[in-house]
Amino acid sequence: MKFSVEKLVQGSCRLGVLRDVGKLKNQTVETPFCLLYTRGGSVPNLSNDTLGYVQDLPPVALMPLNVLAEHHETVQEYGKGIAEFTVMKDFLVCCTMQDPCTAAPSGYNDKTSVALWGRSGKMKVDPELFVKVQEAFQPDWFQCLGDADTCKTSSKKRTKKAVDNTLNFLDEILSKRKSSQTLQKMALFGSIGGGFSQFERERSAKETVARNVEGFALEGFQNDGEEFCQFGDKDFVDILSLTLKHLPEDKPRMMCAVLRPDVVLQAVRAGIDIFDTSYAYAATEKGHALVFDYNYHTPSEEVKDSDETKMSTPATESGFTINLGDKKYRDDFGPLLAGCKCFTCKTNTRAYINHLNNVTELQQGILLMIHNLHHYLGFFSALRQSLREDKFDQLEALIAQQKPHSPDR
Amino acid sequence: HSALSLKILAECPVTKARACEMKLPHALVKTPVFMPVGTQGSLKGLVPDQLRDLDCRIILGNTYHLGHRPGPELLEKAGGLHSFMKWDRALLTDSGGFQMVSLLKLAEITEEGVKFQSPHDGSEMLLTPEHSIEIQNAIGADIIMQLDDVVSSTVSGPRVEEAMHRTIRWLDRCITAHKRPHDQNIFPIVQGGLDENLRRQCAKELIKRDVPGFAIGGLSGGESKEHFWRMVTVSTDELPNSKPRYLMGVGFAVDLVVCVALGCDMFDCVFPTRTARFGCALVRTGQLNLKTKLFAKDFRPIDGDCKCSTCAKYTRAYLHTVATNETVACTLLTVHNVAYQMSLMLAMHTSIIEQRFPECVQKFFEDMFPEKNYPDWAVKALASVNIVLK
Ligand SMILES: [Zn+2]
Ligand SMILES: [Zn+2]
Repeated sequence: MKFSVEKLVQGSCRLGVLRDVGKLKNQTVETPFCLLYTRGGSVPNLSNDTLGYVQDLPPVALMPLNVLAEHHETVQEYGKGIAEFTVMKDFLVCCTMQDPCTAAPSGYNDKTSVALWGRSGKMKVDPELFVKVQEAFQPDWFQCLGDADTCKTSSKKRTKKAVDNTLNFLDEILSKRKSSQTLQKMALFGSIGGGFSQFERERSAKETVARNVEGFALEGFQNDGEEFCQFGDKDFVDILSLTLKHLPEDKPRMMCAVLRPDVVLQAVRAGIDIFDTSYAYAATEKGHALVFDYNYHTPSEEVKDSDETKMSTPATESGFTINLGDKKYRDDFGPLLAGCKCFTCKTNTRAYINHLNNVTELQQGILLMIHNLHHYLGFFSALRQSLREDKFDQLEALIAQQKPHSPDR
Repeated sequence: HSALSLKILAECPVTKARACEMKLPHALVKTPVFMPVGTQGSLKGLVPDQLRDLDCRIILGNTYHLGHRPGPELLEKAGGLHSFMKWDRALLTDSGGFQMVSLLKLAEITEEGVKFQSPHDGSEMLLTPEHSIEIQNAIGADIIMQLDDVVSSTVSGPRVEEAMHRTIRWLDRCITAHKRPHDQNIFPIVQGGLDENLRRQCAKELIKRDVPGFAIGGLSGGESKEHFWRMVTVSTDELPNSKPRYLMGVGFAVDLVVCVALGCDMFDCVFPTRTARFGCALVRTGQLNLKTKLFAKDFRPIDGDCKCSTCAKYTRAYLHTVATNETVACTLLTVHNVAYQMSLMLAMHTSIIEQRFPECVQKFFEDMFPEKNYPDWAVKALASVNIVLK
């Protein structure tokens, strides 16, 4: 994998290009971009058929190991890797450790192994098993085995241990990689942890940079899944910025987490290149549709005058999403978002989704997932465009206007 | 002036089976047909495009559920269920009576209608034949059902006879209340429990009315299979050839094949979609429970001959890893199970046209029962229409 920053905007926002990623030899991927979040190898709620209804999908699928690792013997026997096994062979695969949407129980990692929580409970993954899993899965890139069990309230001791463990695992994997042809073909990202300790973060960053990795995965800010309210707080942004200062410019930085659009922009400003679509799924799970405006070209008054959303969304409502389970959408026969070109909005109404929500029908998850994915991907496309056009602060201002009063929107 | 026309393409010279084209306001339906059940205005885990890809032409909605949520007022505002759920092909709704009696223990039947306690606020409510038709008119399905007096098929005695007579009286009230005969077809329901004479009497009375088709009700509710097939065949004997016959609530493959031979054209059942949710796939030899370890390393599709998109791409092993854990498993298995039902019905339709229906039945039973341990009732039922299982 090769990476270069094509343009630095406002000192720290990186518009970059990934080249030679896995099997897509001649294709380039422009950053910042997001990986296609999957669970159990499928985009939640979507089969190969229904995923096909979403246009302009990212070329790389994110496959956290927590659910998948327990099936590694099956995939080994299958022989063609996890992408083909999960019917995702149109995508490159990036394997990470934990699912950004699921809380990982705390307190189960130690010097020798990291606990992954799958369907059949806890699985202790040591470097040997980790290599076995990766050899079976044959992803195009993977995040190294790491201990990310830290958050804002973690003790000093836990934070230090997590960094120590992660560095030891990295050394072991790097040495095992020398004798594995399969692993040599994959890009390896080192994990940078350290919770909210500036000292540990900097140590983690410097030590990881000193080793032979193709990129960096920023983690250890959260261990409680998507309920991640500290994102967007000042400590987080400060720590993130300080950490990234120690990383070389020519290697990509990934941060997989459920990120609201305003937090994505903060992270881009700090210098992150790679995200994932788990926010779209987290919203879907709540019965929410993403409706935030990312069209930074349109002056905001114009939007207010012409846009139909205005009619169906009371002006008092703030936030990036609307809750389609709300009674007020009962007889709202407009699309989820006026003007949206997605499969769902072309034919379906808020009233119908509201009904599906009331009677807990599975189709709600399918229709919302398609719209939310489409919208989040559209946001990233606008984000790259804004960097190209030097209008990142316009996008920032537009997103800031819509910031919710309550944290979950 | 009816909104339904039935064209008989071929009749089996041996059995009572026939292959038809049934023209409805929203679709041209080949029969024999299986209609998947989309209880609450959605077919579990599928979007309408997927049903279209499966060449499904007609699905079911349940009046009892839709009458509660979203309710007839909203459906009317939405321009009917077709428009609300974005399904532009045919729909059929039941009357709501059956679900009321089976779901609500406190339901009480009087001449006026079905009295029940609202499951939402506990208030006493009454579903009359007029009210059922009013809701079904708001839903706007291509085929609607009369409200019938449903008695459990395990009940016998005077109550069954009373229900049969009341069903006929309620039919007349339903026909009078029906406001959209030009674009919605009302079907009466043959009742009469497990009593051959009552069934005949009921059918004879119903066919005096000017209706576009008939349903056979009150079966598949726990009665013996012996009783079941006899009541079906008695009913089809009485019903006119020129109109479709809908056997309600039947959808197991064996039952479908036998009842097509006995002259039924339309079927519905929650089974294929419900069993998909529990990780079960339907195949020619029966069912595969994909949750079992047996399939953990089985890299074949569910059925190598199946043309569905699940079988084209997914292995049993992958379905095993996600089966019932991820909602996508429900979608994948539902697609396959609906495809299985569709292809079984199409195979019968084609074989009737090609005048080889009895061979098709033989083959089906050989695949399903390789040990030739055919169920006794099926052997008898098929023998009654001149098919001898070898
Ligand atoms: Zn949309
Ligand atoms: Zn199939």
